[in-house]
Order: sequence, then C-alpha cells, then structure tokens
Amino acid sequence: MGSEPARFESVYRETYGRITAYAVRRCHSPQDAADVVAETFAIAWRRMGEVPDGEQATLWLYGVARKVLANHYRVEVRRQALNVELDAEMADLYQAAPDSGVELTAIAQIFRALPDTDRELLSLVAWEGLDRQQIAAVLGMSRNAVRIRLHRARRRFARALAEAGVHFTSESRLTPAEGHL
Amino acid sequence: MKNIDDIDEITRALARVEPGKPGGHASDAGARKLLVSIAAEQPGPSAIRLRPARRPAQRLALGLAGAGLLAVGIVVGPSLLKGSGTPSYAVTKEPDGVVYVQIRDFRDKAGLARRLKELNVPATVDYAPPGKWCQEPRGTSVQDIPRGLYSVPENIPGEEHSLGWQMRIDTKLFKPDQTFVWTISDHGTSTILMSGPVAPCVLVPDKSNEPKAGDKADYRLATTKGRSLAGFRVDEKTVGEVLPELKRRGLKVEYLIMAVAPDNPGGFGELRTQTEPVGDDWIVWEAEESILKPGLIRLLVTDKRFDRNPVYGGPRDNVVKE
Repeated sequence: MGSEPARFESVYRETYGRITAYAVRRCHSPQDAADVVAETFAIAWRRMGEVPDGEQATLWLYGVARKVLANHYRVEVRRQALNVELDAEMADLYQAAPDSGVELTAIAQIFRALPDTDRELLSLVAWEGLDRQQIAAVLGMSRNAVRIRLHRARRRFARALAEAGVHFTSESRLTPAEGHL
Repeated sequence: MKNIDDIDEITRALARVEPGKPGGHASDAGARKLLVSIAAEQPGPSAIRLRPARRPAQRLALGLAGAGLLAVGIVVGPSLLKGSGTPSYAVTKEPDGVVYVQIRDFRDKAGLARRLKELNVPATVDYAPPGKWCQEPRGTSVQDIPRGLYSVPENIPGEEHSLGWQMRIDTKLFKPDQTFVWTISDHGTSTILMSGPVAPCVLVPDKSNEPKAGDKADYRLATTKGRSLAGFRVDEKTVGEVLPELKRRGLKVEYLIMAVAPDNPGGFGELRTQTEPVGDDWIVWEAEESILKPGLIRLLVTDKRFDRNPVYGGPRDNVVKE
C-alpha cells in the first residue's frame, strides 16, 4: 500500500490544472475560485481512501468541486490560511476573460440564466471536454439520463438564443445564422 | 434550431479558461503553498466513536432521567450486566492473525489490556467514568490506516439488548510503532490508531459527548416538539429532501457521517462531522440541534440507504413516541 501523502501529492500534481480551470470557469471572482480549489483538494485529502485511481480521480474531483461550488456555507468555513499567491495566480486567469464584445456578453447572459443543471451539462461537454460516460460519473446519474438532459439543455439554450435574436456561428466569426434556424 | 455543434461551439467560446488548457500549474508558488497547507491537516477518519442504537427500553429510562438526549444512547449501565454469568470480555485469535474482541463490562480494563497483550494486539485501554474523558490529544494519530485493520464496533450477535460490542482486528496490518488507543465508557467507545508514544489517560471533564444527568449535552434531538425541527420528520429522507425545509426555517447545517457495520446490527460509528455538503441522494437518519450554537442542525447521514434506521435499530416510531 503506497503512502497516502505521496499518493495525494501525485493526484494533486496530475489534476491541479484541470481543477483550477474548472473553478475559474465557474466562479465570478478569483478569491472564490481559490476557495473552491482549496476546499476541493482539502476534501480529497481527508477522503484519500475514496479517491479512485487514474483518470477517474479527475472525475471524482470535478464531482467534489461541483458540490463545493453549490455550497453556500463554504465562505464560513474557509479552512485554508489566506494564500495570497494562490489568489494572485487565480486572478491572472481572469485577465483574458472571453465574454467581452457585445455578442459574447449577450450570449453569456443568456447562458447564465439557464437552469444550473443545464449549464453544468453544457459546460462539462464544451469546457472540460467530457463525454457522456464521464459526465455520468461526475454528476452521479446514468448515462442515459445524461443523454436526455443534455439534449434538453442544448435545446433550451438554442431556444433562448433564438428568442433573444442572437445569431452566432463558430469562434469569433460572427455571421448571420438564419440558415440553421 | 441551431445544431448541436453550434451550441457546443457557442458554449466553448464562453469559457474563461480556454477548453483544453489548464488553469493554474501545480508548480506555481500558490499551488505549492496550498499543497503543503492541506497535507499538514489531519486526514480522516482517524477516530471512530461508537453510538449504540436507541431502543424503546432505553427511552423509558431516558424519560425517567428527564434527559431526552439522542447522544445518551445507552442508559442501562454495565452494572446491570454483572453477575449474569457472561465474562466481562472475550478476545479470540484466529490462525490468520485476526482477533475478535468482545467487551461486555467496560470497567475491567486491566484484564482486557493483559489479554490483548497476550495476543500481540498493541493496545491501550482506558475506562472513562461518566462525565470524564481522557485528555486529548494523547499522541500522533495514524493518517494512513490500512483498510481492514479494524471494523466499526458492532453489537454482539444474540446480545442485541446488552451494552456489549465486538470488533474485528487484523493484527497483521499493524506497523511496528502503532498502538490502538481505546477509551471506553458507559456511553460509547473511541478507537484511535496512534503511532509513537501515547500519553497515559489523564481524566478531565468531558465537554464533548458526555451527557451528564440533568445537565446539557452539546446536541439534542431536533425533531421533537418545541425543538427547531418540530413537526418535520427527517428520518429516512434524502439530504435533498431535507435541506429545503432547513433553509426555509433559516437553519444552518452540518453533517455527521455515520459508519454502519455491514449487517447493520443497530448503532453506528461517528466517522466525522463536516460542514461541506454531501450528495443530495445521501440518507438522513436523524437530526440534532446544537445547544451551544442555536440554529445549527447536525444531520446524521450515510451515503446509502439501509434496511432499517441505524440510529434506532429500526423505525424511529418504535422509539420516539410523540
């Protein structure tokens, strides 16, 4: 049996980039992101026995981070000592925020107004690049439930965009999208 | 309607950190500092404290004592068991190094310690009388407890109504300088695996779990008349079903993670108490309210459903009559 501290350190190094990206993509402020990252890994440390090996560890951590994010008591129980460096590193990631520009701002607003589960499903696909099986593991639902809910989430987002008159195609090349409607 | 690729493409464009790219780097100063600060924390579970199930007869005694406290658990004292002909403890060792310990009387600590030593179980045993507990910490808790080293204490088969408990210990899994530190009392058992020297037990007033007669414990049942969750049953509901009502009543929540022996004989261990949330699909077995911090609710939870409520060894209605 390998020692838990060594295993934790290896999981930490392996997943830190993805967990910080996950938190930064979802938190409004760098301090919140730093809190979510710190609390997520603190939970992993306390439950090292439950953390699966390999790629599954990342999915397990996404699941924990999601719960930490949803937890409004988090602020009260900030366990980690103030980590100025971490806050600064998170803040750097907010510099190149993409939702600038009129169209993207409008789209971001519509996106934020979607139900939480819709947003999380769409994000796990588009931001973390997960497939249905992986999303099922993160959210603790069946693969079929993921498939159905993802379909509905995409439909709701598309409808909301259409109702708002936002027409958008790929990347930054904004062109009329009537052809798809 | 836009097709799937378009929707995903639009979503991708919203990502603060570009998809496929990492956020921070584990080698950054803040990341290294975070790693060190987390690893300095004590990981759990390093200690398990056992609470036996509440039973109807015990509730009667509770009522007489005027202390309707869930944490009391056991009211029938060990003295009632004396003279019944059963030995106060039994320790048996299988050829494969597995030891079964059964304890019925919590006061013959010298005899038990001697027997454990004979069987090469490195252990210290202390008895804490009501209202007292050994001053903590007594040593360094082992952070890396091998799976299967010991089981959660459970009732002795066929003696469900006694105070006794038994546990299984695999002596092969001990490392050289480790000691099993047991503190037994009339109301529960604390089991901590420590490494290196262990300080002797210095009895101090127990401020954590001991509900003294006529005195107040830290937590009490929250779901009875006059309490903060009066009129709202939580037992056997999911966390997701319970939280909205707590929120509606403006209550804060923490979770006591229960450890239940495989065959759920009644009673449970306390793995840890945490404020970070658990899954909405976890099962709530009871709710307690903090006496020191009004408005704080502690949900007793497990990550899966059992065939009967471990807190009461069956339905709550058999024990708590309203």
